[in-house]
Amino acid sequence: MRLPEIERGDGFVNRLLISFISMVSGMRLPDAARVAFYHKDFFGAPLGAWTQAAMRGPSPWSVTERELMACMIAKWNACAFCVGAHGAVAAKEMQRPAVDAVISDFRTAPISEPLKSALAFLEVMTLHPTDLKAEHARAALSAGVSREALTDAIAVGTLFSIVTRYADALDFAMPTPGEFERAANMLLKRGYAS
Amino acid sequence: MKTAIRPDHRALAEALRRRVLEGPGETRPGLRQASAARAAGGPATAAPYDDLARQTGEAAHRVTDAQVSGVLTATGSEKATFEIIAAAALGAGLLRWEQAMKVLDEVTDASA
Repeated sequence: MRLPEIERGDGFVNRLLISFISMVSGMRLPDAARVAFYHKDFFGAPLGAWTQAAMRGPSPWSVTERELMACMIAKWNACAFCVGAHGAVAAKEMQRPAVDAVISDFRTAPISEPLKSALAFLEVMTLHPTDLKAEHARAALSAGVSREALTDAIAVGTLFSIVTRYADALDFAMPTPGEFERAANMLLKRGYAS
Repeated sequence: MKTAIRPDHRALAEALRRRVLEGPGETRPGLRQASAARAAGGPATAAPYDDLARQTGEAAHRVTDAQVSGVLTATGSEKATFEIIAAAALGAGLLRWEQAMKVLDEVTDASA
């Protein structure tokens, strides 16, 4: 259920900001951005700080690889909004068919072996967190994923385990493919810090 | 030459946890903590919070309007309802963070 206050913005400044960004971008501001503005000191600010660091900060993973991870966490959580949003960002650097191949079956997709190994770890972490064992971490490290890289992947996995849950609980409106593409440009340009 | 500083994920996770579960809000921190724990597979909490927190943790795409509106009616506030959803989502996320970092630490500490 979408909360009306998130839809319109809490406070005069946020309402103005939502209207302005929607007007300038020529599309309805996606709910993910509306939530980032809402009750910001409570949630948007600390979540945005970690998300910006994990998705855009220094890492052995490229931005596109991290966006693909976010997309896959969303797939495993059945969050259509986040699959669309982060798949669209990844498709800015990769060919769209390659992104779709990852979403369909990352094990046979045209991506690096370390990324496949990190995704295999994230799949267990997302779907069966209490089944995670040292052997899962060992498998990723043996495939060439460094400790720092696996830590960064775990941070992405954690963040999108959070984001997908509130996106679905709050019934985020689904943008069109064209709107996802425009929103992807904004995410690449502006990042996640709210 | 500048060296890029890696993010301190542990500190960022802890800052998020403390703000959402211990900081000021429209709901009691105890209720947010119980909702987070419930979403991470912990014990049942009071109705109607229990149902929303459990469902958010297990499969948020199956959260119903009735589960959200139940909490909205009980709290009388959209911000308070948002706090319960945020706390539950965070609880499910932090369960994964802690499990994953625990197994990674096991492997890398053993080989250090």
